[in-house]
Amino acid sequence: MTLTHLNARGEAHMVDVADKQETRREARACGMIRMAPETLALLAEGGLPKGDVLATARIAGIQAAKRTHELIPLCHALALSKVTVEFTLDVVQSCVHVEANCRLNGRTGVEMEALTAVSVACLTLYDMCKAVDKAMTIEAVRLEEKRGGRSGDWSREAVAAPAVAPASTPLDPVTRQPASPVVTVRFLAELRERLGREQHDLPWARIEQADIAGIKRALIAEDEVFSLLAERRVLAACNQVMVDDGTRVRAGDEVAFFPPVTGG
Amino acid sequence: MSGGRDMMIDVRVQQAGFDVGHEQQRLLSGRTDIGAVVSFTGLVRDFNERPDVRALTLEHFPGMTERALTDIAEEACQRWGLDAVTVVHRVGELQPGDPIVLVVVGSAHRRAAFEACDFVMDILKTRAPFWKKEHTSSGDYWVSERQSDRLDASRWES
Repeated sequence: MTLTHLNARGEAHMVDVADKQETRREARACGMIRMAPETLALLAEGGLPKGDVLATARIAGIQAAKRTHELIPLCHALALSKVTVEFTLDVVQSCVHVEANCRLNGRTGVEMEALTAVSVACLTLYDMCKAVDKAMTIEAVRLEEKRGGRSGDWSREAVAAPAVAPASTPLDPVTRQPASPVVTVRFLAELRERLGREQHDLPWARIEQADIAGIKRALIAEDEVFSLLAERRVLAACNQVMVDDGTRVRAGDEVAFFPPVTGG
Repeated sequence: MSGGRDMMIDVRVQQAGFDVGHEQQRLLSGRTDIGAVVSFTGLVRDFNERPDVRALTLEHFPGMTERALTDIAEEACQRWGLDAVTVVHRVGELQPGDPIVLVVVGSAHRRAAFEACDFVMDILKTRAPFWKKEHTSSGDYWVSERQSDRLDASRWES
């Protein structure tokens, strides 16, 4: 592994990309700004003195991505084909999650652009809210994934949770060995009320068929109460993405079962 | 920028109410390339499966909800080449007449905005993890899915 921004003499230099092939490059970065619950409430209601906070922070993030090369010394100027900056207000953690996606067809990656968009969007949120809350903290600015280019695809999730030893497998407190793996099963809404439980850790060893249908069968084999899962129309999500009966499940996954949705 | 466009997706799940005019202004702020904005607001009715709904409680699946709404908005952006989509969905206890959901879509031309707004609501109703429990004088119950909602969503399959 070498640092490509250092030349043979160890001096900083810009990497010549003229001969690199153009490929589709994408990057996703995230971060968050924590604030007092009252600040978050004001932000949600649009009651802050500087006005429309999220719209301003979004424009700031997008503009910043486009100007990354002016801020980071050895970055190339890029014609980004897509920049999105999204905000999610999180009442539970009292923070705003910021996510930026950048894309282009080109010769260099767009990780720095995505990270810059998140950073500047967070800074703008701070600026817009600081009149009412100076103690806000900007946290966990990080690359989540990148695609394309010679170094290939990378994702934090894939690195953190290799297939062999799932990250969510807890250590046994006595032996300090990984405890036997489980699939965490969650039940939501009416299904939770009818089953009288919110969560159930299903030992991986009891699952004969590693898909959603197999999880249902293993649950029913454990306890007859779960036969509800076979009697009614039940939807499923694996790691928070809606899936079908045939979708594969791995040890350490979180599977949620819930009734047909009725929002809107 | 060659062929560059900024598409803005704003997804929020919150207990607080929202103001349609304010959300539309927010979506349009700093943009002069948007030629059409369509918005849809869903409200709590005082009649549904039973005639005397006094209140309802909306539960959701934190984390998955935001992700599902973002996916739906992105799909709409790609399908209709939109400039901006805002989705705000409320959770918690709501009274008849309260706004529940807001979809605002901005695009260069009106047809895309009308269709995409319709699409986002149809798909949201079948894919976003929200559940309604209605409170009436004769008791509380979880709202059942409607076959018509599934048919509406299937219109967009191609």
